[in-house]
Amino acid sequence: MTATAGLLCIALAAVLQAGFLLRRENRRDPVSHWLLAAAALLLFVTLAERSVKISFVAVTGTYESLVFFSAAICVVLFGLRLALRTRGMSPFVMFGATFVCLVLLILSSSPLAPKDVQPPIPALQSYWLVLHVTFSFIGESFFVVSFVAAVAFLATRSEDRRADMDRLITTSIGIGYPVFTAGALIFGAIWAETAWGSWWSWDPKEIWALITWLIYTAYLHTRLVRKMRGRISAVLVIAGFLATLFTFFGVNFLLSGLHSYG
Amino acid sequence: MKAVYSFFKSVRLTIVLILVIAALSLLASLVPQRRPDAWYRSHYSPFVSALIRLAALPRFFSSAGFLVPALLLTLNLGVCAVDRVVRRVKNKSTPRYGPDLIHLGLLILIAGGVVTALGRQETTWSLAVGEDAALNSTYALHLLSLQYLKYDNGAPKEWTSTVRITREGNIEIPSFPIRVNQPLRLKGLSVYQTAWELQGILDLKDADGQEVTATTGQGFPLGQSFWYFAEAQKARDAWSIVAVEYEGKEMKPVSTRELRAGDTLGPYTVLGITAREITGLKAVKDPGFAPFLAALVIIAVGLAVTFVQKNASRYSADSRRGTPADSRRGTPADSGRAEA
Repeated sequence: MTATAGLLCIALAAVLQAGFLLRRENRRDPVSHWLLAAAALLLFVTLAERSVKISFVAVTGTYESLVFFSAAICVVLFGLRLALRTRGMSPFVMFGATFVCLVLLILSSSPLAPKDVQPPIPALQSYWLVLHVTFSFIGESFFVVSFVAAVAFLATRSEDRRADMDRLITTSIGIGYPVFTAGALIFGAIWAETAWGSWWSWDPKEIWALITWLIYTAYLHTRLVRKMRGRISAVLVIAGFLATLFTFFGVNFLLSGLHSYG
Repeated sequence: MKAVYSFFKSVRLTIVLILVIAALSLLASLVPQRRPDAWYRSHYSPFVSALIRLAALPRFFSSAGFLVPALLLTLNLGVCAVDRVVRRVKNKSTPRYGPDLIHLGLLILIAGGVVTALGRQETTWSLAVGEDAALNSTYALHLLSLQYLKYDNGAPKEWTSTVRITREGNIEIPSFPIRVNQPLRLKGLSVYQTAWELQGILDLKDADGQEVTATTGQGFPLGQSFWYFAEAQKARDAWSIVAVEYEGKEMKPVSTRELRAGDTLGPYTVLGITAREITGLKAVKDPGFAPFLAALVIIAVGLAVTFVQKNASRYSADSRRGTPADSRRGTPADSGRAEA
């Protein structure tokens, strides 16, 4: 029920943002980010309810992961919208990232993500896992913003807008990359060592998390060290986000391994 | 020597190597790793199977195709790390320790990975309550009790193996519950809970009248088939064993039988069936784990320092310009470009 209400809030926010985009005034609507904040709250309530039922932090299944990911995107968009008041957070980026969030939440309602409340099996009963999952998704939420900004960067010819998008990409990856590194690689490796006695197993999920990390590492080197602000950096950001998506969906549904449960 | 140094300090080389490793890893992730050659022959066409084996994809992460670019990247990382320090000393520029720490942490992480790959040792045991296992020449483990809890839906909730550790016969740890995610750590050795099994035991009599014992997990050939004792079941206070018949090169299951005392299967007659709970324990000695942990701490500190230093320089630049932070044209990252 709360998840459905959250979905409606996000859908309403997307409609509102689309309406402002179509007016071509490049003005940001004053309401949608508050709708996103409400949606995040409702989604966290959903997870809290499920956590109480299983007596553990409910981030261990595909449904819960998608709900958490969506909630994290809402929080990131709300935060960036407030933090970057005068420049940067363009209506297009807000709409694009909200749309990605909406798609993720709709996927959580599909048969791909069973909604039964399942208590965690022994391997999943670890707070390292909770840190691993939550930090990974928080980092990836910033990658959603950078992805939409990279698409906007490639789509526009205005140098001013490109500069804005470039700044937004760098800022969001600048925050998302260390959080993702901590979650996906550091906490993930510590959990794997505690659960299985091996901190790296070349499991498909691990390989894809590494690929994602390498692509964003390459971006940071092109953009910050080589000072390349052009298309190559933007393409790397898009590739990084596609790798992020494959790490979650592709590996879960196409490649089997240690992570085949979630 | 100077040319080699210049070659390895190139950031362009870093980017190329990172992308090459990412692309090769992507290819390797699509092929299941470490399967026998026959598996690839049976699951792919002859051409694709030959291609996969030619590219060493089944063991890609220990092949030259991965190790050579990884080694080059390690050298590149090392030279870049040294070069940053050298340039800073020469130019007397503002020190930025974050990236230095991250690079150092990554080098230690890679070293830890190499040590793990070369020196990691693993031993597994299946033990029943009361049985012992030698951890090494000094320490031994004795299984005191075994607990398997299930949720209402039948899914496993917890496996606990309570063990006693002795050192040369003297009790070192009287009782320690090993659970999944709660290993026993002992002087560089870790003992993990890996499995739980209900082991069925069959007392059999063969055609010559000889008595033999078999357990679930074992089997025997019979004509063109192979019979496998799969699992023990209990019904009306009597144990039975589910036996599965496999046929052909690919070992396809073709039939099952539930064996009870008095039944006959091929040359064997079942005299009796019992069962006992078995725990699966794994001892791991990984000399690469300590450097790995140290590397994680250094990388985490490096990331935090990078973030703090970039923000500090951003705000100092903003205050020098007298502009509020949210209306600046530069980025937090831009402020750190001078030394990169």
